[in-house]
Amino acid sequence: MTRTARLLLFAVAVLVLAPAGVVVAMNMPAFGSHELPYGDAVNSTIPAARHISNMVSAVNFDVRGLDTLGEEFMLVCAVTGTVVLLRGERGEKLTSHPAQMRGRLNAPRSDALVLTGRLMGPMVLLFGLYVVLHATVTPGGGFQGGVVISSGLLLLYLCEDYQTWRWFMRAGWLDACEGGGALIFVLAGAAPLCFGAHFLQNIMPLGKFRDMLSGGLMQIVNAAVACAVLGGFALVFLEFLEETREPRGDP
Amino acid sequence: MTVLLALLLFLTAATGAGIVFSRDPRRQVLAIAGNGLALTLLFTALQAPDVAFSELAVGTAALPLLFLVALASVRTDRKSDL
Repeated sequence: MTRTARLLLFAVAVLVLAPAGVVVAMNMPAFGSHELPYGDAVNSTIPAARHISNMVSAVNFDVRGLDTLGEEFMLVCAVTGTVVLLRGERGEKLTSHPAQMRGRLNAPRSDALVLTGRLMGPMVLLFGLYVVLHATVTPGGGFQGGVVISSGLLLLYLCEDYQTWRWFMRAGWLDACEGGGALIFVLAGAAPLCFGAHFLQNIMPLGKFRDMLSGGLMQIVNAAVACAVLGGFALVFLEFLEETREPRGDP
Repeated sequence: MTVLLALLLFLTAATGAGIVFSRDPRRQVLAIAGNGLALTLLFTALQAPDVAFSELAVGTAALPLLFLVALASVRTDRKSDL
């Protein structure tokens, strides 16, 4: 396609789409306008019904828990696909000589980076754990805490060398964490069926309002999501970083 | 809309344009991380801290890392072919 043809196509597209865009922009609700009946309903009923104060967690793990289960399995499928594609060739070997490829500089880590990473890494991990544990009281939850923890693992990679990082990132544990999280979610959904209740119905004691352990069944679902997300992200990081490794000459 | 929100929206648009206008893939990856950081600030200002957590961890740490590794992998493959 020549430059003229492309510009012509662009002009035609703008002529067609620009009026539509203007109409949409003119009819949008005003910035900050509050037209959210669903949110209002959740805000007014959930604190009394479920004894928790983080409405986002309530919606994710209870009100539309089945949707979250579907999302959970989308994540598991995506991670499984990535792992199958990348791990297939190298197998399950543990020894690693990363960044030894021809033509790539293996720069030593600076002291500042090591110090910052060693100070911040554990703190990020701890903060992630905090976000997971306080899913029902403060903003955050299993997904957010899981990604925070896995990014903390990346920080540990930055400040240690790859071999150390690879030593404690055991694929078996991460596999179990990811699959186990999804399994616990399904079991938590199926368990109420045994007591004559509906799938994912919150039949556990709800606890005290604004208490860390409030929310009943949501606690289990939240922990399961945290496990699955943490395992999934860590696995993807591991499999991708393994790609930077020298493939041959490995014992 | 407060001045802070207007500034952050502008920053998001500016960093987004930065991704489009940087041509070198490595610079683009860093531009994506910058855009993720701008979005994190925007979400925080809009009082959506849980979305901000996710955006910070995924947009500024996970995604750039995966892109960088993919770039590194592609580059070494080319070298070994020569």
